[in-house]
Amino acid sequence: MLRAMDTVRRLATSAVRVKADMFSGPLETPRLSFGEKLLAFNWVFIVLITSLVCVGAAALYSVAGGSLDPWAETHVIRYCLGLGLLFLVALTDIKLWMRLAYPVYLAALLMLIAVPILGVDSGGAQRWLQLGSITFQPAELMKVALVLALARYYEWLPPKHMSNPLALIAPTAMIGIPVVLVVLQPDLGTAVLFAAVGGGLLFLAGASWIYFVFGIAGILGAIPFIWHSLYDYQKVRVMTFIDPGKDPLGAGYHILQSKIALGSGGVTGKGYMQGTQSQLNFLPEKHTDFIFTMFAEEMGFVGSLSLLSVYLLVLLAIVYMALRCHSQFARLVSAGVGITMFVYVFINVAMVMGLVPVVGVPLPLVSYGGTSMITLMFGFGLVLNAHVHRKTKFRPYEVGII
Amino acid sequence: MAESEHHKRQKRRFTRRVLMLGASQVGLFGLLGWRLRQLQVLEAPKYTLLAEENRINIQLLAPSRGLIFDRFGKPMATNTDSMRVFIVPELSTNIRDSLDRLGRVISIPGKVRARVLRLASRQSPYIPIVVDDTLSWRKFAQVNVLAPGLPGVQTDILSVRKYHGGSDMAHIVGYVGAANKVEVNEHPVTRLPGFRVGKSGVERGFELKLRGKAGVIKLEVDARGHAIRKLETLDSQQGRELVLTIDQEIQRKAMERLKDERRAAVVALDVRTGEIIAMASTPSYDPNAIIEGLKEGAWDNMANAEDDPFTNKAIRGQYPPGSTFKMVTALAGLEDDAIDLKSKFRCYGGYSYSNAYFGCWRRGGHGAVDVRKAIKQSCDVFFYNVAERIGITKLSAMGHKLGLGQTYEFGLPLQKPGVMPTPGWKRATLGKPWYGGETIIAGIGQGFVLTTPLQLAVMTARIATGREVIPRIVRPYPDEKIEEPKPLDIKPEHLAIVREGMWAVVNEGGGTAGRARIPIAGVEMAGKTGTSQVNTASSGRSSSGLKWEQRDHGLFVGFAPADNPRYAVAAIVEHGGSGSRAASPVVRDVMTALIERDPVSKPTYVARDGYRQTAGDKRRPGEG
Repeated sequence: MLRAMDTVRRLATSAVRVKADMFSGPLETPRLSFGEKLLAFNWVFIVLITSLVCVGAAALYSVAGGSLDPWAETHVIRYCLGLGLLFLVALTDIKLWMRLAYPVYLAALLMLIAVPILGVDSGGAQRWLQLGSITFQPAELMKVALVLALARYYEWLPPKHMSNPLALIAPTAMIGIPVVLVVLQPDLGTAVLFAAVGGGLLFLAGASWIYFVFGIAGILGAIPFIWHSLYDYQKVRVMTFIDPGKDPLGAGYHILQSKIALGSGGVTGKGYMQGTQSQLNFLPEKHTDFIFTMFAEEMGFVGSLSLLSVYLLVLLAIVYMALRCHSQFARLVSAGVGITMFVYVFINVAMVMGLVPVVGVPLPLVSYGGTSMITLMFGFGLVLNAHVHRKTKFRPYEVGII
Repeated sequence: MAESEHHKRQKRRFTRRVLMLGASQVGLFGLLGWRLRQLQVLEAPKYTLLAEENRINIQLLAPSRGLIFDRFGKPMATNTDSMRVFIVPELSTNIRDSLDRLGRVISIPGKVRARVLRLASRQSPYIPIVVDDTLSWRKFAQVNVLAPGLPGVQTDILSVRKYHGGSDMAHIVGYVGAANKVEVNEHPVTRLPGFRVGKSGVERGFELKLRGKAGVIKLEVDARGHAIRKLETLDSQQGRELVLTIDQEIQRKAMERLKDERRAAVVALDVRTGEIIAMASTPSYDPNAIIEGLKEGAWDNMANAEDDPFTNKAIRGQYPPGSTFKMVTALAGLEDDAIDLKSKFRCYGGYSYSNAYFGCWRRGGHGAVDVRKAIKQSCDVFFYNVAERIGITKLSAMGHKLGLGQTYEFGLPLQKPGVMPTPGWKRATLGKPWYGGETIIAGIGQGFVLTTPLQLAVMTARIATGREVIPRIVRPYPDEKIEEPKPLDIKPEHLAIVREGMWAVVNEGGGTAGRARIPIAGVEMAGKTGTSQVNTASSGRSSSGLKWEQRDHGLFVGFAPADNPRYAVAAIVEHGGSGSRAASPVVRDVMTALIERDPVSKPTYVARDGYRQTAGDKRRPGEG
């Protein structure tokens, strides 16, 4: 009874307590009951991502020329399944994820290594593994696993060793090995994603500025070598990005048509299901990578700016949730998923507007595609798990080196 | 430092850095927003235009060609639809199989099948091979329905020109053909498959009136170019009707009359309006054969034929006018006051100039000759005298005044101007000075003087009316104002004496063309013979012993009725011998037909005013 009252009181004043928590020392962290977990849940976040999925479903309905089939309905069904996964992940004990972090990472790494040996070819790149009847992209699992593993590492690393250069060896390897593996597939977009998320987490964990200055300088210096080792189709993509008008019917066609679609949408758009560029098939891949273009053509500047605002709200909500976490693990998991989401949105939108080269990156929750949906919902599940367990602190014996 | 202190610092650092990260995310989203504004607000007009260009496909609709009638509304050129089925070998997986299956719908004779297979094996597989171009609507519809199951088989409807006047009208109406490179650049509609433009005659001269206005279909197309829907249709407008001044009846008679000659031409004018009532040139050709497509050999045969059937000799044949030019010399002398009505020259059968001698056609001489008698008897010596007195410049100026040495802007293409020589002309073209003797022979229409039969008809009409008659081949549209020809700058009494002489040529004893008298009571023709030397070998006058090519050209010009002229006719019979014998009967017969029928007194057909809409959508069923 007393304990229950204590819980209610604590929850009711949690807003006030957050500030106090930040400066308080190690506390006894209670095990949360299911009801407490639901109360601690961030429902606003669920509303935000659901609204994104609704936008996606509406856009897919329009892409299909006013039909739920073949995309819109499946998209919603997948989201509902994804929500199930999200709740499952969010409501399990955070310590479970803590314990699973390295094994999951290791499994993802082994599968990435297995891809070139056992993988299935698809469009000039080996990215898929056949597991029984399902094909599976190990790189997708790695997106989450990398975040978990890095968070787990920095939860373990005593803060006083933070600036020790030796402490950087392990995380650098954790990031570097998968980056190299996906570059070999070759999948440049995912490699950039891994590098960005990994680098972002190192930064948030507190690695010294100097490493980032050197790191960025190193990447810039390596560009000529990277260019040299790129595959022809990747070079073409980069060249196309630099000058899309050079070959309007060839490689530059997609970007040019995308810009035409965006620009012709104007301020208020051509109206729902009225986009000529999309409905008449001038746009490529409009149910996946170019769905933003299609949305922007039909909804105009006002609509696309609103959509971007919702994404920004989701990202800021993740930042907010990360800020409220007491453990380094929870913070970094949240922020890591946030960075992943941000990189997705930014690269996709920047790509369709001709700001970055064409890389096959979907628009989270809006683009049609099961794999990215599952990965994201898993990730959001971890974010909400961290949020629900924001007060949890780990005892040193719970955070072994392995 | 205490462990908790480290954790607090770690948390503060995280807070700091995650806020920085959040801020940079906001900043990068700002970049996206900025770019979005650039594309969707600032550059929206540009991209809107590009999107429209993507989406809209403009197809031209071929206008239907204007019809051509004769002056009484008899159709001369009309359009018929030819429904064709053809096969594109490249699109056919197995051409024999396609032909077999097509053969179940339409009958394909063995000969046609063999031809198709032969062509398919010989030429580029992208060139369509016509299997049948005379399908009925029923068969055409059947083939279209089955076309998807017949790979490579396509259909279209071609508008085909039909020439009802046949070879009688060929030189006037002309024919149409596929546009050449220059014509294609002139207007995009000429690029349409099956589009035809005028290649000769009125079809060419009045191309822009006959062509009409192309229609436009705006189609919304998808990325593959498939039409999604029709956005807008602007119907094509048929070309204007053209009513010729020609009376097909007279034309037919004139052609009939020339039938027995190898190369000859006759032109009949309405002297008051300059309207060409008939213009015959022999040999001729069948324009319908050209439309249907001559076999390679046949075209070459026609184009290279000795008597040149494609040349309209009435406007492109340039002949020395011979004695028909003497009216010009007479008028030039009278106008220059070098001679008057009573001036006489004595003809001893020849004329000495410098150290040259120019004979008269009558070796015995004409004795004392005044201008009237000189015309009547065609005395060369009289005109040698006049020519020498006035000089070549004034002579040639009078020729110009009477319509010689020039082409007329009335729409008939490919006219030749002839030659009214002057010293300047000779220097420019031959690079040699003018010699006095050349003036002497120019006085009787020899030497450098060249005229076309049309010019001679115009000259005759101008002498007959005293007005600056200009030929016309097309009747004016109802909204068109035609100015009456201006009076010529020649004294009427001078014209009267020349006409008097021309009357005497035909109607007085001793005139050179008694046989040109019209067999109609009360109607007299005035005229003038001409016999022009082709080469020196013919100077012996007697034609009978000479080869055809060496004989003189026979010419005759005349107008009737002499007292109230309505028609002028000029004829040339190449190598026909004398004008009196060869050409004057032609003119007499044509003139007789004109007087009897009197086409200019009858009401003419009036072109339907303005443009007519071409009915419906003329898209070819075989396309798209």
